[in-house]
Amino acid sequence: MQDFIYERPTTIGEAIAAMHADDARALAGGTDLVPQLREGRRRAAHIVDLKHIPQMTEVTVLPDGGVQIGAAVTAAAVARHPAIVADFPAVAESAQLIGGVQVQNRASLGGNICNAAPSADGVPALICHGAQVLIAGPDGTREMPVEAIFAAPGRTTLAAGELLTAIRLPPVAPNSAAAYRRFTPRREMDIAIVGAAAWLRLGADGLITDARVALASVAPTPIRAPAAEKKLLGERPTGGLFEEAGRLAAQDARPISDTRGSAVYRATLVTVLVARALADCGRRFGFEVAVA
Amino acid sequence: MKVLLNCTINGEEQSVLADTRDTLLDLLRDRLGLTGTKEGCGNGNCGTCTVLMDGAPINACLVLAAEVPGRSITTIEGVSADGALHPLQQALVEHGGTQCGFCTPGIVLAAKALLDENPRPSETQIRHAIAGNLCRCTGYGKIVEAIAAVAGSAAQEESR
Amino acid sequence: MSDGAELAPALKVIGQRLPRVDARERVTGEARYPADLAFPGMAHARLLRSPHAHARILRIDTSRAAALRGVLAVVSAVDFPELPVGAMIPMGELGYDMWMVAQINMARRKVHWVGQPVAGVAAVDAHVAEAALALIEVDYEPLPAVLDIASATAADAAVLHEHIFTKGIEPRPRTPSNVCSRIVIERGDAQGALAAAPATARLSVQVDTAHQGYLEPQAVVAQVDSNGFATVWASTQGQFTAELMIAAMLGLPASKLKVVPMEIGGGFGGKIAIHGEAVAVRLSQKCRRPVKLVFSREEVLQGGSGPPAAVLIDIAVGAGKDGKLTSITGNYRLDAGGLPGLSPSLVMQASAALYQCPNLNLQGYDVVTNKPRTEAYRAPVGIQAAFAMEQAMDMLCQQLGMDPLEFRLRNASVTGSTMPIGTPFPSIGLTTILERVREHPCWRDPLPEGRLLRGRGLALGYWRGTSMTSAGHITIAGDGRPMVTMGAVDLSGTRTTMAQVVAEEFGLDVEDIHIHTGDSKSVGYSDGAAGSRVARTMTAALVEASRDALTQLRKRAAEKLQCAADQLDYASGMFRARTGGAAISLAQLMQATLTDGAIIGRGVSTKLPLGVEIGAHVCDVEVDDRTGLVTVLRYTAFQDVGLALNPAAVEGQMEGSVVQGLGWALTEGFDYGPDGRLRNASLLDYRMPTALDVPKIDCVIVETPVPNVPYGVRGVGEVPIVPPAAAVANAIARATGVRVTRMPMTPERVLTALKRVRASEYST
Repeated sequence: MQDFIYERPTTIGEAIAAMHADDARALAGGTDLVPQLREGRRRAAHIVDLKHIPQMTEVTVLPDGGVQIGAAVTAAAVARHPAIVADFPAVAESAQLIGGVQVQNRASLGGNICNAAPSADGVPALICHGAQVLIAGPDGTREMPVEAIFAAPGRTTLAAGELLTAIRLPPVAPNSAAAYRRFTPRREMDIAIVGAAAWLRLGADGLITDARVALASVAPTPIRAPAAEKKLLGERPTGGLFEEAGRLAAQDARPISDTRGSAVYRATLVTVLVARALADCGRRFGFEVAVA
Repeated sequence: MKVLLNCTINGEEQSVLADTRDTLLDLLRDRLGLTGTKEGCGNGNCGTCTVLMDGAPINACLVLAAEVPGRSITTIEGVSADGALHPLQQALVEHGGTQCGFCTPGIVLAAKALLDENPRPSETQIRHAIAGNLCRCTGYGKIVEAIAAVAGSAAQEESR
Repeated sequence: MSDGAELAPALKVIGQRLPRVDARERVTGEARYPADLAFPGMAHARLLRSPHAHARILRIDTSRAAALRGVLAVVSAVDFPELPVGAMIPMGELGYDMWMVAQINMARRKVHWVGQPVAGVAAVDAHVAEAALALIEVDYEPLPAVLDIASATAADAAVLHEHIFTKGIEPRPRTPSNVCSRIVIERGDAQGALAAAPATARLSVQVDTAHQGYLEPQAVVAQVDSNGFATVWASTQGQFTAELMIAAMLGLPASKLKVVPMEIGGGFGGKIAIHGEAVAVRLSQKCRRPVKLVFSREEVLQGGSGPPAAVLIDIAVGAGKDGKLTSITGNYRLDAGGLPGLSPSLVMQASAALYQCPNLNLQGYDVVTNKPRTEAYRAPVGIQAAFAMEQAMDMLCQQLGMDPLEFRLRNASVTGSTMPIGTPFPSIGLTTILERVREHPCWRDPLPEGRLLRGRGLALGYWRGTSMTSAGHITIAGDGRPMVTMGAVDLSGTRTTMAQVVAEEFGLDVEDIHIHTGDSKSVGYSDGAAGSRVARTMTAALVEASRDALTQLRKRAAEKLQCAADQLDYASGMFRARTGGAAISLAQLMQATLTDGAIIGRGVSTKLPLGVEIGAHVCDVEVDDRTGLVTVLRYTAFQDVGLALNPAAVEGQMEGSVVQGLGWALTEGFDYGPDGRLRNASLLDYRMPTALDVPKIDCVIVETPVPNVPYGVRGVGEVPIVPPAAAVANAIARATGVRVTRMPMTPERVLTALKRVRASEYST
C-alpha cells in the first residue's frame, strides 16, 4: 500500500483545499476505499477525512419538508433517521442493505454514490425520489440530479478537486410511494446482482400520474427504465401492468455477464424485481396487487 | 511513515506509535499487542475483526488507524470487567457457542452492541445483528441460543 | 437419547453436556493462534506466487529483492533439497506424497496453478516484504493450461506431469496422461441387471470446487536457535505430520525441529498438509530471526491452499417393482487440481455402502488440471458423491411411486451386510436411524403451506473415517490430580471430551483433570486430527493410560496401606481396603509418595476397529420459482455416534458440518476464468452462509456402540457434511418437479433448470 498524508479538515473549504493536492481521495466510511487502497486497486497520496465537517455528517430537515443528508452520514444513521423513515422509507431500507451491521455503521450514502459502482444499493431509490447531489469545488458550488454524477463503473463526473457534500431529497410528493428491491444469493453481505427501485404517484382517480423506475447492476451506471415508466403512466395499478412494466424495464437494461450472474439471468431478475417493487409501492398506498 | 496517535482503547488513553498505513486492526494487534481481535479476510467481508467504535460494531480492517483519535474503541479485551465474564461470554461458554474460537471475539462484540441497544431482541433480530459475522464451525445455532438466553434472562430480570 | 445396549455401570461424566474446558479463553480473546505471536526482532514473510496456471520457470533472480533495505532473506526452490518423485512420509497405511507437498510449498521448474508459490521473502515489516516481492524477477514460459476434466482428458491436452502414467488400466500405458488412476469396484453384473430392471434412474451431475472456509488463514511462526534447532508454531491439524513434512522438505533430522500446535481457527481437512511452514523455517535459518508468515484471505483462495475437488459423476440405478435395488453403476471423475494424490476409491465405496445391492459397478478416475491441488474437506468428495447418488435414489423412488424412507428401509445395509469392498459391515445402526426419522415430527409433520413452492427431501450419508495411531500419557500431580498430555490436536473439542474420559476412568470431576496437546517432542507420535479419528482413538489411548496409571497407583496405595493390591477397591479418587477400613485418597497418596518416583501412565491406540459414521437428513425448502432463490425452512440431522461423549459437542459438530454442506449446496463455488485465475477470490463473492441464511439445525443423536472399542465411540465430524446437498436437491425436486444437477445450486442455476422444464412461462 502506498504511503499517504492523512488530513482532517473541519470545514468544506479546508476539505476542498486538501483535495487540490495530487492524488487526493476523499474518505468517509472507508468501506470501499480502504480495501481498494490496501489491494492496490486505487492509489492515494493524500487522504481527506470528511467525517469532522459538520455539514457532511448531519441530516437536516429542510423548511420545505425535504431532507438534506450530509455526504458522510452513515447508512445506519440514514436508516433510522425519523424523517427519512417516515417520508422516504425506500431510502431508509436501501441504506440497510449496504453490507451487514458493521458496514452500515461506517459506509456513507455519499461514499456509496462516489464509489460509482453500478450495483450501489443506495442509489436507485434516490433517483426515484428525484434526489439532487450538492457539489463543492474550487470554483464554487453546484448541484445536479443524482444520476448525473455517474460516468462509468468506478468513475464520477466530478472534476478534480470537487467534493460531494450532500444529497438533497425534495419534499415527498403527496400521494406517492417508493420501494426498493434487490436480489442477492445470501440474505446479507452480498453485492446486488440486480437492484430495482420504483416510485409511483397516483391521481385522485387512482390512476398513475407519475412513475419512475431505476435499476442497479444492469448497466455501467445506475439507470432509469424509460420504457417501463412510459407504460405505467395513466394506467390503473394492476398485477398485469406491473409485470408488463417489468418486462419493458428488462429491455431498458443492458446487463453484462460476470461472476455474479449472466446477462440473461439479470434481465430475468429485472422483470421480477421491478414488478415486485411496484407491488410494494401498491402496498404502501394500501392496496394489494398480486405479481409473480 | 511513523506517526504518534492518541487513542482511547477500552477506556484507556494511549499514545501509540503507528505506521500511517496501519488500519485499526493493525494498530490493535501489532502496535498495542491486543491480539484478541482477529483478521479473517482483511476487507470487511467476514466480521472477524469486529470491534466497537463509540459503541457501534464496525470492522477494524476498514478503518485507518489515523481515523481513531477522538473515537472510543472497545475490543474483546475490554468486555469482561475485572476478570468476570460478561453474561454474553458466559452464555457462549454454557451453550456451546464457540468451537475454534476465531469468530468468537467479533461475535461477542456484535452481540453486545445488539443487547446494549435492544435488550430483548427476537431471534430474527439476533440473526440480523450477527449476519455480518461469519462462523464456519457452529452453524450459528448455539450462538443464537446463547444470545437469546441472555436476552431471556434480561426479560426475567425485568419482570422481577 | 440412547438406542444401543445399556452400558453398565451408568456413566457419570461421559455423556454429560459439559461446556468446553477451553471455552473461556475463546470468549475472552485470550486463545492464541500463530498470528498472535510476536517475538523480539521478528521478521515478516510473504510468498511470491505464480500468475500463470501452467508455465515453466525459466529463471528466478532474487538479487534486487535481497538488496532492498529491510529485506532479511529471500528463498526459492534452490534453497530446498530436490525430492524425487515418489518421496513419501509415513502416514497411516499408505503414507503421504512428499514430492507433492514440496511442490505445493515451493514450485520447482514448473508451476501448475495460479498462486503456486515460487519464492519467499522475510523482511523487517510486512510493507517491505510486499515491496520486495515486486523486485523478484521471474521469467516464465507460459504453457497451455487445462482447466477442467474435459480439457484435461481431450486427445491433444497439454500434459501436466511427464511422470504420470494412468494406474489401473491394462496394458500399462506408455505415454503420460493427466488421468492419474482408474479404480473399479464391482460385483455381479451391474450392466445386465440395469438393462433388465423395471425401474431405473439416471443422473449426471457437475459439482464446482468449493473451499473449507476456515476463518483463520494459514499462519506460522518459525524460529531457529543458535543450535540450529527450529521451533515452529503452527495452525495445524497434526503437529507430527507437519514435522515430518517440514523435515523432509528441508532435509532436517527429526532431532532438529519441533512443531508446537497452537489454537487452530478451523481446519476441516485443509490444514493437514503444510502451507508455508517449511519456507518460514528456511527463511528463519537464513536471517537468524523468528519469521512470521500469515496468508491473506485472497492468497488462501487464490491458490494458496488446497480446496476440495470438483467432480463429474454419472449414476444409474435399477430396482425391481418391489423396490429392491438390483443395480448401482457409477462413473466418478474427480478433478485433483495441479498435482496427483486424490483417490476416488473411498468416496465411491461411501456413496453406495448404505445400500444392499447384488450388482455394483463403480468406476473412478482422478484427473490433474491446472488449478490448486485439492485437499480434504471433511468426508472428502462425500458430499459431491451423495449429491449424485442420493438424487438418483430419490428419482428411483419417484419412478416406483415409493416413499423415500420406505425405500431406504427396504434396501438398508445392516450389521454384517457386504460393503462395496467385499468385507462385512461392522456394527451399524442405519435401520435404527431410519426408524427414528419415521417417528420424528420433521418427517410426520405436513409441509407447512406457503405462497411459494415447498418440498421435503431425505438423503443419507456414510463415511468411514480412519483410525491410524494416537498416543497420550498421564502423570499424577502432587495433589493427586491426573495431568494428561495427548498427542492429537483438538479440532472438534477433544480437550473436553478426553478430559471427560479420563475423569470417568478416575471417578473424578472434569475440573480435576488438566489436559493439553503436546508438541511433537513432548508426547508420543499421533496422527493428525482428521478422518473422524481423534475422539475414538484418543479415548482408547487415554483409557489405556488411565488404567496404567491406576495400576501403578494401586500398587503404591497397597504398599502404603499394607495390604495386597487386589484387596483394594478404587472409586472416586479413593483407595479403600476391603477389610479393616483403611483408605487413602489420591491426594494423600501423592503427598506421601511424590518423591518416590513419578506415576506415568501410557497409552497407545493403533488400528482401532472402525466405527463407521452414518447419517440421515431431512430438509424442507421453499423455492421462489421466479428468481430461483431457495430457502431452507427446516433441517433435521439424524446420526449414529456410537456413544456421545458430550452431546453438546456432538451437536456442535453436526450443526456446523451441515451448514457447511448447505453452503456448498446453494451458494459456494469457485468461478475460474479462462486464464485459470479464480474470479471470486474474496469472501464477498465466495459466499459462505450467514446467520440469516440457515435455520436452526435440529440434531437427533442415535447410539449404536461399536463393539470392542472403549465406550463404543464412533467418529462424528465428517458425515454430517455428506447429505445436505442431496437433501436440499431432493427437496427442490419435490417442490418443483425439477432436478438440479449443478452444485452449488445457485439461484441462477435453479431458475435455469426450472425454465428448461417450463420453457414457455418465463420469456423475458
